[in-house]
Amino acid sequence: MSTSLLSAVTPLLAQIAPVSVEWSAVAPELLPTAMALVLLLVAIARGRELIVAVPAALIAAAVGIWLISMAVVVPGAVVIAVGFALPASAVAFPRRQSLIRAFSAAAALVGALVLTGWQYATVLAPTAGGMTSQEALQGALANDGIAFFTRVTVYLSALLILPIGYGYLQERRINRAEVEPLLLLTVVGMAALGTANDLITMFVALEVLSIALYVLSGLARRDRRSQEASLKYFVLGAVSSAILLYGMALVYVATGSLDLAGIGSSIGLVTTPRVVAALGLALVTVGIGFKISLAPFHFWTPDVYQGAPTNITAFMAAATKAAGFAAVLRLYMVAFPALESLWVPILAGLAAITMLYGAIVALVQGDLKRILAYSAITHAGYAIIGVTANSDAGLTSTLWYLLTYAIGTIGAFGCVIALERRRRGEVTLKELRGLGRTSPLLAGILALSLLSLAGIPATAGFIGKLLVFQAGIAAGLTWLVIIGVLSSVIAAFFYLRIAATMFLEEPDPERGLPVVSTGLSLGVSVAATLIIYLGVYPQPFLQIVETAAALVR
Amino acid sequence: MGIITITLAIPVLGALLLGLHDGDDRTSKIIALVASLATFVASIVLLVQFQVSDANLQLAERLTWIPAIGAEFSLAVDGVSLVLILLTTFLTPLILVASWHSITDRLRGYLAAFLLLETAVIGVFAATDLLLFYFFFEFSLVPMYLIIGIWGGAGRKYAAVKFFLYTLLGGLLMLIAILYLYGQTGTFAYSDVLALSLSATEQRWLFLAFLVAFAVKVPVFPLHTWLPDAHTEAPTGGSVFLAGVLLKMGTFGLLRYALPFFPDATTEFAPWLLGISVVGILYGAIVALMQGDIKRLIAYSSVSHMGFVVLGTFALTTTATSASVVQMVNHGLSTGALFLLIGFLYERRHTRQIAAFGGLAKQVPVMAGLWLTVSLSSLALPGLNGFVGEFPILLGTFQINRTAGVLATFGAVLAALYLLWPYQRMFHGPLDTADNANTSDLKPREIGVLVPLVVLIVAIGLYPKPLYDIVEPSVDRVLTEVAEGVDAAGDVLGTAEEDGS
Repeated sequence: MSTSLLSAVTPLLAQIAPVSVEWSAVAPELLPTAMALVLLLVAIARGRELIVAVPAALIAAAVGIWLISMAVVVPGAVVIAVGFALPASAVAFPRRQSLIRAFSAAAALVGALVLTGWQYATVLAPTAGGMTSQEALQGALANDGIAFFTRVTVYLSALLILPIGYGYLQERRINRAEVEPLLLLTVVGMAALGTANDLITMFVALEVLSIALYVLSGLARRDRRSQEASLKYFVLGAVSSAILLYGMALVYVATGSLDLAGIGSSIGLVTTPRVVAALGLALVTVGIGFKISLAPFHFWTPDVYQGAPTNITAFMAAATKAAGFAAVLRLYMVAFPALESLWVPILAGLAAITMLYGAIVALVQGDLKRILAYSAITHAGYAIIGVTANSDAGLTSTLWYLLTYAIGTIGAFGCVIALERRRRGEVTLKELRGLGRTSPLLAGILALSLLSLAGIPATAGFIGKLLVFQAGIAAGLTWLVIIGVLSSVIAAFFYLRIAATMFLEEPDPERGLPVVSTGLSLGVSVAATLIIYLGVYPQPFLQIVETAAALVR
Repeated sequence: MGIITITLAIPVLGALLLGLHDGDDRTSKIIALVASLATFVASIVLLVQFQVSDANLQLAERLTWIPAIGAEFSLAVDGVSLVLILLTTFLTPLILVASWHSITDRLRGYLAAFLLLETAVIGVFAATDLLLFYFFFEFSLVPMYLIIGIWGGAGRKYAAVKFFLYTLLGGLLMLIAILYLYGQTGTFAYSDVLALSLSATEQRWLFLAFLVAFAVKVPVFPLHTWLPDAHTEAPTGGSVFLAGVLLKMGTFGLLRYALPFFPDATTEFAPWLLGISVVGILYGAIVALMQGDIKRLIAYSSVSHMGFVVLGTFALTTTATSASVVQMVNHGLSTGALFLLIGFLYERRHTRQIAAFGGLAKQVPVMAGLWLTVSLSSLALPGLNGFVGEFPILLGTFQINRTAGVLATFGAVLAALYLLWPYQRMFHGPLDTADNANTSDLKPREIGVLVPLVVLIVAIGLYPKPLYDIVEPSVDRVLTEVAEGVDAAGDVLGTAEEDGS
């Protein structure tokens, strides 16, 4: 009976899905996407969860059975189990909706990480030698080193942010039903940006993640700063998207091609109008410079980072940067290598300005979220060094740098959240006084995260900086690395200032203790462990990074 | 796992144990002391296993660390690193005993910071992989920053940050040079970098990058300005460790890395460095003379004394350069002992102003006697350790550069002045104030800390031969590498000219 049903359904499905879809290339994204849809539907259904839950369970069952019939047994079984567990729990614990949402989202992210690992083992590195690349959906997606590392960074960041932000959202009463689905959609957009191999996919992915982030940063509806952040982010983001789109259009006009490899092969030809291509490149640089907040296109960053709910800020700082840089790496290294003489000096100059500007302006900030925002700007400058190197080493070092930066940033913002929950307001340096005495563990983790951002040995950030500097020197950009060193010393000054306030000053007895929930301590502890582990014994990961330069070109 | 790794690992394990247990302060102190004594024992085993006749890096240990970027966890010692490791492991338990009662605030953190610092310093002396070396070199900043910043004096915040940023900047410049060398070899292994042949221009820039990193650490005039602040504000233990061991990371680095890696640049810059050292010797001495704070005075005396070490290093003769290694140890012992004495006095009086003291010798005869002995050692009185280091340095310098030798000798004369004058003002004369009359003499614990130091001061002064025997072959090896490097470069240059013609 069941076999006859299957034999009836399978050709039907085969008809719907074009034959050439390489499911393995998008497998990790399917899970968060599906979960986002389910959570959104549950959110819309409000009190009548069963209306959503029952069809969702049926669909999950159907998909699971189909997967098992295609001999993909374990994932199929997991899909069925999750499909039933979710609605069942929604019905069973009606008062714990937000906890269920958070756990479901986390489960989807864990699944996505597992699938990313599976993808690495079966598709990207089937043999021990190194990474290969896979082209999917007629060249629209490239599944390779950049995609892999973007996925790891983005999923990991989201997974860490969920427990860290859970109590914070609840306390500020902004744990509305759309938070988790929007977060998952953002993540999917970011992962898609990491795989996007033509201009259209790239733009769509960028808009998916941006629009979800516009909403998320305005989550605190009664907080004027959050509203301001959201509006500012939206307006400036829309302008930068327009500029980017215009640049992409010019590149298309010049080359007649939308996929990056095609652009790359035709942009160097004599028949290609060089001026149009160069103009397109310039506009793309400006547009993408906004997204990854390179100086002088950074001016939205401090206000948005300060105003947005802190867990969203942490996620933006860590993951958006990784995704944005994935696009940068692909654009410059796959589409524009022929115009190298044009963009390398420009990007090197922007990197120098960004590193110095971010570090110097951070010196005079008093608000912790603003300091970290300027530090995020500085770090974009370091990551760009790897791009400017325009080499395999530069590519891999940038990917590694973004991962280490993301972990350090999440650790730091996580601790800021604990402080913010104490006073429900902005966290200035004064708030940190004597924290090393009142809550030594939290202060220790914050200090460790800051040391990692400063790039001191025995933390992940050191290995990140080491690789980026090495790529820069190997590419002959010693001057840029020297500027990087100078800005590192300046940056170390303000990181140290934070550490000094915590450990070297006496606590103010009137201030209460920071609020550390289980989720928060779990999240920041994992971040701290990763910082030390990747700083002392990075070999298992570095080994993967070293082979990540196999791109779809 | 070899003996070097064990020596390196014991303090870290001690620090971990301190972090895990949550017992009382007494248990913490005992854990830390036992760990540091075990480290000392391990380093004695290291000394026993060491082949004195062998000039090369020996007892090598190699573990894979980050093969993806060609970095190895590789350790080895030669005579120079051996004596400095011994100095470190010898001083650490003494420092812990010295601050047995004086540190009460956040004691566990203090002890753990010292143990981590000890590991970092041993790592610096034993690493034979450039990345590993840099790893320990920069990591040592963190515990030292905390020691100065948390347990230091009134101006500790400023001093700690200044210390951190100065050394970080120097270190990062060296990192650029290390990465450049890595670009040439593809590994961070010491021997591979040593085998490189670099052009004169490359050598010049790379040498300068290494020089800045080490010169900040030593500190060489005019990069010394962090030192008086750090020394004065650090707690007693921190000052002892800073003067005794951390400064040696700079002179050690010059000898181990800067000289043999860049022989042409070394010979090219050597006269300049002799000059700078002489300026530093005289400057440090004169500024020390003008200090009213006895701790600051000794801090400036360190600038002067370390000037002698750099002078001897760049004299590039076996006599002078070996003596400068011996002088590193001597400075560690005598300045360390002076800082301990100052610390003990400060605990009693809570002031360090020389003018506040007078006629103490009648009241505290033991302290006065030890103070005088250590001061005499520091000013290089024959028969004590300072002399057997400083005299050969001056002799060697005089042979190659008379002016430098003569001027440096003035520094030795000034040392007598800046050390004996405060001694006279503090310990002799009338016992005029009530505070002075109520100062108590050293307790047995404090004497116990100082006695091992004084024994070594006298022993090295009377019979320095064992120390020289350990150090000399290794110094000879380095100087041969410098000379051969210069010859080889000359040959390359010669053939190039022949080709040109």
